[in-house]
Amino acid sequence: MPAAIVAQGVCKSFRTGWFKPPQAVLKGVDLEVPRGGIFGILGPNAAGKTTLISILATLLLPDAGRVEVLGLDAVRQAHLLRQRINLAAAGAQFLWCLSVEENLAFCGRLYGLGGRRLRQKVAELLELFELTEHRRVTFDNLSTGLKQRLALAKTLINDPELLFLDEPTSGLDPEMARHLREEIARLNRETGLTILLTTHNLREAELLCHEVAFLREGVLAVHGSIPELQARLGLGDRVRLAFAGPPPPMDYRALPGVVSAEVSDSQVTLVVDRADLRLAPLLALLQQNGSPPASVRLKEADLEDLYHEIAH
Amino acid sequence: MRLPTEWHRLWAFAARSLIVNRRNVFAVFEMLFWPAVAILSVGLLTRFLHLDADTVSFILIGAVSMNTIQIAQLDLSYSLLYDVWSRSLKHAFIAPVRLAHLILGAGLVGLMRGFFIFVVMGVVSQILFGMELGRPGVTGLVLFLAGLFLNAAIIGMLVLLLVLRFGHRAEVAAWAFSYLVFLICGLYYPVTVLPQGVQQVAWLLPLTHFLDYFRQFYGFPASSAHPLLYGFSQSLLYLALSYLGLGLVLHRARSRGTLLKLSS
Repeated sequence: MPAAIVAQGVCKSFRTGWFKPPQAVLKGVDLEVPRGGIFGILGPNAAGKTTLISILATLLLPDAGRVEVLGLDAVRQAHLLRQRINLAAAGAQFLWCLSVEENLAFCGRLYGLGGRRLRQKVAELLELFELTEHRRVTFDNLSTGLKQRLALAKTLINDPELLFLDEPTSGLDPEMARHLREEIARLNRETGLTILLTTHNLREAELLCHEVAFLREGVLAVHGSIPELQARLGLGDRVRLAFAGPPPPMDYRALPGVVSAEVSDSQVTLVVDRADLRLAPLLALLQQNGSPPASVRLKEADLEDLYHEIAH
Repeated sequence: MRLPTEWHRLWAFAARSLIVNRRNVFAVFEMLFWPAVAILSVGLLTRFLHLDADTVSFILIGAVSMNTIQIAQLDLSYSLLYDVWSRSLKHAFIAPVRLAHLILGAGLVGLMRGFFIFVVMGVVSQILFGMELGRPGVTGLVLFLAGLFLNAAIIGMLVLLLVLRFGHRAEVAAWAFSYLVFLICGLYYPVTVLPQGVQQVAWLLPLTHFLDYFRQFYGFPASSAHPLLYGFSQSLLYLALSYLGLGLVLHRARSRGTLLKLSS
């Protein structure tokens, strides 16, 4: 199946003043996003995530490079492409004096819906996002969570094949963020919709994304599935074995699945590819040698480690 | 191109404008208060000056024209300003809509509101100050109204252009420009009273020709043989230039990131 997004050498600079030189935000981004999954673009604030997603969503023109989305040129065929994509950004914003239903209807009409089809679609989305009882409430009277739900509902008004979510849970309290993440995961699971999201929340990416790419100083530093990246960067689950005396002498690095090993006076810290597979045989081996550890501490690998590794 | 689809896109802006106007008490106030102030103050001034009926009509035509244009262009100008004020500009520009949908959709409501104001002001002028609104006949009225709406569209598009280029603060400059047009086109006086150089500029404004055409029905001969021809050709030229300019500014906004800035 062809990729949903193929970007090659995408560059973008912005001028910040009349006589100031342009500042490069994207410096040749190459990206390939497969269809059907949730793809995360991670990076710190001001890394260029919003700039990149805006280019892919046709809101911004690149200075250089090629962007192909759903098989269409995102610059030359932007008008055709817009019918097949949609976007929600952080901090949902709609016209304050229009109700939930009217805002959805407005957006539906923008995509050429009208009459019974529009009414059906709006009703379906209100139902799907549990907004039916709030349908007559004007936007400025909605809670932050409901506003964000409306933003997500709006993105499905045109039955898009590809959804862009720019920091979708930014500014939400943890409970609301969790609820929204569940909605996003459900959407992908139930409809097979391709979703590209940007976030600086590593936990969010870990929970939602099948693949991630790290954007740093205008270039994509690494790109792949989370287990793949861990393997590639030598990251893994951390197993700390504390002994009553000196650790038993052995070549820990040669043990299966061990990425790195550090031995000190009374403890051994191992980084293994998968603790769930490696820990039991390791403990059995130590038991066999007659020197079982006094305590075992396990820290599973997470994106924090990955992020730290890439950023430094 | 599928017509119903195109119509729904166009209607999106018209329906939104109608809802906002219906719901916003200040929009109704804006639509009725200023025209009422204008027609009463100008009408009472003509009474104080003891002007003859045709001269009163000459001046009242100016007041009716100015308010019709101002009200008609508001919906067009607000079509983008609503999105800028609510920081929701992205919704319109990520959707497959063209500038024509926005202009025609919002313009349609402007046309309806402008027509309403024209009729109300015309009737009030007739009842209170004796201006014969029906004297030019249906054709004369329709052609004059069409001219006013074209001028409103040009001003509205100019506001859109400036907002997309410089942000919402530019709206003040755009409306100031429209008052400059009213000053030069001879709204309450013949352009012959203007300095020679300014007169030349006045004849480059389509509104000057439309006023010239309409006032001939009230006993003031037109300055040219074909005021309508000049008025409509200039209007179409400026409309085409405005549309082209708006397209270029939108392209620039997508390129420079102004669309994103106006949405955040």
